[in-house]
Amino acid sequence: MFDLFHNLGLGFGVVFQISWWSPWWLYGASLPISINILMCLIGALVGTLVGVLPGIGTVATVAMLLPITFGLPPVGALIMLAGIYYGAQYGGSTTSILVNIPGEATSVVTAIDGHAMAKQGRAGPALAIAAIGSFFAGCVATVLIAVLGAPLTKLALAFGPAEYFSLMVLGLIFAVVLAKGSVLKAIAMIVFGLLLSMVGSDIETGASRMAFNIPELADGLGFATVAMGVFGFAEIIRNLDAGAEMNRDLVQQKITGLMPTRKDLIDSAPAILRGTVLGSILGILPGGGAVIASFASYTLEKKIAKNPSRFGRGAIEGVAAPESANNAAAQTSFIPLLTLGIPPNAVMALMVGAMTIHGIVPGPQVMQKQPELVWGMIASMWIGNLMLIIINLPLVGIWVRLLRVPYRLMFPSIVIFCAIGIYSVNNAPVDVILAGVFGLVGYWLIKHDFEPAPLLLGMVLGPLMEENLRRALLISRGDWTVFLTRPLSAVLLAIAAFLLVLTVLPFLRAKRDEVFTESES
Amino acid sequence: MADTMGHSATATKHTSVALGFCLLALAPQIFELIWSIGTIFGWGAGRGPATVLVSHITALVAGAPAALLGAIGGETKKASSDVLLALIYSYPLFAVAILTIFMTIRSAQDYVGGIVLMALALFALWASSDLQGMRGFSFGAGTAPRMFGGLLVALGAGIALTGLLTDGPGMAHYAWRGPLFVMVSIVFFALAIRPLGVVVTAFTSFLISAMGTHETRWVEAVIVGACLTLGCALLFPYVLGLPMPMFPRFLVQ
Repeated sequence: MFDLFHNLGLGFGVVFQISWWSPWWLYGASLPISINILMCLIGALVGTLVGVLPGIGTVATVAMLLPITFGLPPVGALIMLAGIYYGAQYGGSTTSILVNIPGEATSVVTAIDGHAMAKQGRAGPALAIAAIGSFFAGCVATVLIAVLGAPLTKLALAFGPAEYFSLMVLGLIFAVVLAKGSVLKAIAMIVFGLLLSMVGSDIETGASRMAFNIPELADGLGFATVAMGVFGFAEIIRNLDAGAEMNRDLVQQKITGLMPTRKDLIDSAPAILRGTVLGSILGILPGGGAVIASFASYTLEKKIAKNPSRFGRGAIEGVAAPESANNAAAQTSFIPLLTLGIPPNAVMALMVGAMTIHGIVPGPQVMQKQPELVWGMIASMWIGNLMLIIINLPLVGIWVRLLRVPYRLMFPSIVIFCAIGIYSVNNAPVDVILAGVFGLVGYWLIKHDFEPAPLLLGMVLGPLMEENLRRALLISRGDWTVFLTRPLSAVLLAIAAFLLVLTVLPFLRAKRDEVFTESES
Repeated sequence: MADTMGHSATATKHTSVALGFCLLALAPQIFELIWSIGTIFGWGAGRGPATVLVSHITALVAGAPAALLGAIGGETKKASSDVLLALIYSYPLFAVAILTIFMTIRSAQDYVGGIVLMALALFALWASSDLQGMRGFSFGAGTAPRMFGGLLVALGAGIALTGLLTDGPGMAHYAWRGPLFVMVSIVFFALAIRPLGVVVTAFTSFLISAMGTHETRWVEAVIVGACLTLGCALLFPYVLGLPMPMFPRFLVQ
């Protein structure tokens, strides 16, 4: 327990670190600033912006901003990127409630009841409850990360290559189980990602693999490049299909009375609690993340409600639970990344990229060797949540006004920003073309109903998996049973097999589909 | 090959799908041919177009069957890369294309999706065929790509099979305008950023991609494009300190 406070103290110390900044226009004078607080604020603001604007997602934004983090200290860079992720969860709810346009996939379900509330003139309480729920969930998740961080790290240090391999298999299976749509397609996407990760030189032998003597491919496909293509460009092209002018009839009414009534608070308190718990659990699971958490918690609320017919007509629980859940999940998904070095979803995979840019190899050793990085990031999350609740409620008007920017002007801007972003990662024009090609690939995948998220996960885990598989087999002298004879590894694989069987069973499959049908109803 | 083409032309069902697969089966060869045209003008290294054409045609028509017969006969002569491409990639896809004609496709979305994934996996298998495999119990460079490639072939086949067995959506409608102009804009950006600098490139790319929708109003787009270019020109090189050429090279010098 003492350790926990000590660590959190260290974290807050890092966040509040004051440095003296002497810009050239002050001619020698300096200003005291806290870089990390500033980064946290920027991250939260950019995240909210991204959350508000439909047509640009978190993954594309984080990929776009990766090169920007070059010049920053590693702690500041990671704090900013983390801020974007959970900031987007806040921002998404705002537009869902006010204009029925979910800016992010995570707030799709919030729109159902949230917008119904807004139409009844209760937009204020809906926004307030969403913010309060998110803040509460954020606080709980921060504590959870702090509590679980150290023990999980200890566990991870006991892991050998065989365990790591099995753990990654389990993670990928989770990604399949929690993905939307066909199980077979999700697995195929993962394997496609694994195959893409093989391009470039082999880590052990140095042999060039599938690079076709193209020098730019010798280093492998850049992860940010593929992410930007599949999530950024593909999304733009897809949106253009539907016609650039999306239906945007804004609810032009004054938001009056932000404060929820006593009854609202009493009604939503248990929902916030349930949402937080469910979101935290789903966030930790590999392959989970914020989207599934919000869907699942909405379904749960509807199931246990005394009068389910209220849902869809402005039930406040329908706003409170998913908003708490997505925020909790966004934050707890940092746990596997920080303790095991395994990214549970696409955004976390990009965080791995950000860490690698700064020469940090994610994994259990980070927490021991660079405690100020990990704890600084954890502490910043709590501060970021506080900032978000302060910036969001008063600034609601500004965010909504941003929605009036028509898509016909927004999409060329996003294209340019993405292009400059990718170019500056390596100063390589070829990367830009590659991202464009992957944009077309992503467009094709969307058209054939393949989910791009598992692909990205496979691509990130590919090299790690191969390395650990090789090592495990080398140590066991080519004996494949090593994965089953080592107890930890066997347990992990057994869980993976069990999950896969469960998903294929028709009864549970129907249940799984039910969670995702909410958005269409 | 000619036989295949003739066959699909006479069949009334799924002709276009089968033809598409045939084109897919020859895609790497066609791509290399187009690429090799560049060597005439001295761009890039590689084989000339004539060599490429002759080599692939012999590989497809004569080389591969010969290698196949040789393998059955027990000969261990090493096949050339073109022959391997025909064997590993093109022939299986031709087979699929022929089979397609006789199938009732219940979900074209799944069927085509699965087959294209299979093609990608076969291509990866060919691309990693020159890499070393297992040595004793240690992995060679080619072991993992072949493992995952094989797995993806199976999964692709599985998805294609579900497309045959269960009802589902047909092929989605593809728009051409958005993808085309966004891609042109991206390619222009990649080619122009080095010689022309951020200012010219970003502005031009903005306008090109704005052509992606018919709703664009040009006055508005030019104003926003100019503002955005100014913003980028200030943000990236100055505020963020990323090294980037600002103006066209010939103007600076």
